[in-house]
Amino acid sequence: MMTNTLTSTLVLLPFLAAGCCYVLRSNRVRSLVVLVTGFLLIISAVGLIPLTPFTLSAGNLLGVRVHDLVMVADFLLLFLILYFGFKHRSLVVKILSLLQILLVAYLEFFLIKEVPATGTIYCDSLALIMVLIVSVVGSIICFQAIPYMRNHEAHLRLDKSRQHRFFLVMILFLGAMNGLVLSNDLLFFYFFFEVTTLCSFLLIAHDHTATAIQNAVRALWMNSLGGAAFIVGLTGLYYQSGHLDLQLIIINASPGARVFLLSLALLCLAAFTKSAQFPFQSWLLGAMVAPTPVSALLHSSTMVKVGVYLVLRLAPAIHGTFLSQCVAIFGAFTFLAAAALAVGQSNGKKVLAYSTISNLGLIFACAGLNTPQSVTAGILLIVFHAFIKALLFLCVGTIEQHIASRDIEDMRGVYATMPLTALITVMGVIMMIMPPFGVLLSKWMAMEAAARSFYLILIITLGSALTVMYWARWAGTLMSDPFAGRFKPERQPLLTWGALGALSAGAAVLSLAAPWIYTRMIAPAMSGTYLLPYRASGGILENAAGVFAVLPLSVVAAVGFILSIWAVKRAAGARIVAPYLSGIQVTEPGMFKGPMNRLVKAEAKNYYLSSIFGEHKLTAWVNLGAGVLLILMLGGTL
Amino acid sequence: MILTTVYVLTGFVIGPLLGGLISGLDRILTARLQSRIGPPILQPFYDAAKLLGKEKTVVNVWQAFCAFGYLAATSMAVVLFFLRSDLLLILFIQAVGAVFLVVGALASTSPFSQVGAHRELLQILSYEPLLVLVVVGIYLETGSFKIGSVLTHPEPLLLKLPFLFVVLGYALTIKLRKSPFDLSTSHHAHQELVKGLLTDYSGPYLALTEIGHWYEIMLLLGLCALFWATHWVGMTILIVVTYFMEVLIDNVSARMNWRWMLGYVWAMGLTLSLVNLIWLYTA
Repeated sequence: MMTNTLTSTLVLLPFLAAGCCYVLRSNRVRSLVVLVTGFLLIISAVGLIPLTPFTLSAGNLLGVRVHDLVMVADFLLLFLILYFGFKHRSLVVKILSLLQILLVAYLEFFLIKEVPATGTIYCDSLALIMVLIVSVVGSIICFQAIPYMRNHEAHLRLDKSRQHRFFLVMILFLGAMNGLVLSNDLLFFYFFFEVTTLCSFLLIAHDHTATAIQNAVRALWMNSLGGAAFIVGLTGLYYQSGHLDLQLIIINASPGARVFLLSLALLCLAAFTKSAQFPFQSWLLGAMVAPTPVSALLHSSTMVKVGVYLVLRLAPAIHGTFLSQCVAIFGAFTFLAAAALAVGQSNGKKVLAYSTISNLGLIFACAGLNTPQSVTAGILLIVFHAFIKALLFLCVGTIEQHIASRDIEDMRGVYATMPLTALITVMGVIMMIMPPFGVLLSKWMAMEAAARSFYLILIITLGSALTVMYWARWAGTLMSDPFAGRFKPERQPLLTWGALGALSAGAAVLSLAAPWIYTRMIAPAMSGTYLLPYRASGGILENAAGVFAVLPLSVVAAVGFILSIWAVKRAAGARIVAPYLSGIQVTEPGMFKGPMNRLVKAEAKNYYLSSIFGEHKLTAWVNLGAGVLLILMLGGTL
Repeated sequence: MILTTVYVLTGFVIGPLLGGLISGLDRILTARLQSRIGPPILQPFYDAAKLLGKEKTVVNVWQAFCAFGYLAATSMAVVLFFLRSDLLLILFIQAVGAVFLVVGALASTSPFSQVGAHRELLQILSYEPLLVLVVVGIYLETGSFKIGSVLTHPEPLLLKLPFLFVVLGYALTIKLRKSPFDLSTSHHAHQELVKGLLTDYSGPYLALTEIGHWYEIMLLLGLCALFWATHWVGMTILIVVTYFMEVLIDNVSARMNWRWMLGYVWAMGLTLSLVNLIWLYTA
């Protein structure tokens, strides 16, 4: 009973609340609806923790079978996408949505004889982790969107507010994500999969500029390609096994059968499009035209996480196959290539976008590697990446609204004007690349797991060295001169501080709690399919091959941090001098007296090495490489 | 418990003392190679003491944070080494120190520190993968990333990982800031960036970076020592020969640019690592 209530709150409440956001056109009421929905989602998600695992069968809703409701909704959705295809004159969208309509009709009316009575909803630890991420991180992003959108619309000077549409889609997205990760019936999964495609299209197009629409249509066709691959895969799976029960498919996997493997490969392809892996990265890069909360939502807790969730879910079914190896190589390749492209970018949001693609690539590599350690690493990486990437996007959005630029060069010395936001951003960067924080913990696991396969470890080490480079550069730029003197936090809306504070504190606390997350949530998700990879005792994760003392290291890091802050306090009393400029020092900042007694301005910019890592140099080759790997993956199953 | 405390204290106290002595020896040896007499062996300690006593001046207070962060991370790495912890983890913590040093240099607007910091990032980019691959080689041979299992390994690692030892040599040369890889900051006067990365660290904070560097020397020589962990004589010979080679290379090469460094080190380092790793996989 309890599980029923909580599950329907998680999935259906957002749909209702989204409707309210659209109908009730008062700012205050809408903010209240968003806040209440967000908190209810968080509470319900937390409430599910003691109840997992459980299975639910969707019976009837208002006297109609839920299965039929979903079917009707599915057709409506696909026709809506077809409509957008006509509206924006995109031939690809038209073809792909028509194909999907035909296949869904074929599947529903001709193939599927009886509707499975049990197990429409299945929640194990992996699904629970996803529900928690979606509900917590997603809600926090929606909270921050309230003040952000107010500023955003004030800046655009709109005659009529379009926030009702914005929040309609944002909240809907959360419901669709919860529905997706909880679905066990693959047709339900497919429905929610398509809802996320439509939501992302609407959100990217939100500002209705020419670029926004162009990028949104690109996102629509790329994700429709994923949807088409998905439904073709489903048809294949139904041919092979006679049902679409995800758990049964995984348990009774028949990796020897060609149709089965090809279908799973198509599902992986769908996952790659959702997660914006090469060569489908351009939709995610284009998505940054949307208001920042959209990027934060797409990059952290929703959309791109669908792909990695799907592949991690399917990993036991493809264990030991060539397909699994292909997924691993493809993921590692994306990890390296996206990191290289991130090095060449000075646009902050693009760096974040490439970093997302890169991290997702690593998660795919972990799933494809398919060992207990690597799968643990993949799940942990999903959790920590969601928190920190959401945090970093919200930080960049906040900074952008102040300095009217998202270029890293323009963020030079942003500490002087917005010290607290700059510090939180640097904190986010530190949590991205430094131990004892969670991302690095997962990377450590991934590397130790990959060490037995020399091509994977080679690619991953190169990628992770490049990763350090682009993050460190950014952190340094944020802390750069001019120095403001006394630390005085800037003014921001309460919800902004709340969101930034909750996300950064959440990421830090979760890092500390990683051993417990492992024992409570990840170990149960692994048991049955994998051997347990680590012993966790006293906050230390250990196995025969390695040891990561999470708790002791965190204590030492905390002591080091406090000492360093104390050093900063003491240095505040030190003499502040001008930087060395190799000339006669003058009082004007950044100037020195050069030849002929003239004042010369000293300037330095970051290295972006675009002659090596620029998009114009790399993108074509990377896309080609990724395309070849995809063909290898699909062809290898035949 | 007592043993752990002893290890921690040894790493924390003996580490920098030995590191300082080695850098004193380095200076004498370098001087002799250049037909000079050189400073007394304790000169690095005198320098650090003098710097520590100077007035605190900073360009940006966050430099102080970074200097402390660098010292904390490098000392932590050495302590973990003495505790026989996970090699990969030690490398990650060592990288934290390197990143803090860069961030501190970027916190100043002086073009000398800025360019120095970016070159340091390129140096990190060059050696970091090599160090990880060396550790992966050790794992493949001993079956574990823990230093404890290296120490109980019956035969010297050098026999199975000769190419990876050369690779470690490349990383060592960059890390010890020796020519031809002393791009970001140099001990020699052949540097066009003043003191590059360290230009705007001054007084006590410069001393901290110096002490941090002693820890790093210890850590890297410790890594070298693992390649002959079966007997102390072999270990000593290996370290002495390696370090002498470092000083020799330092004195006979010119400073090159980062393009050459990245291309050369990755090409040589990755090829040698791959050859050695494939050998281990097939063996």
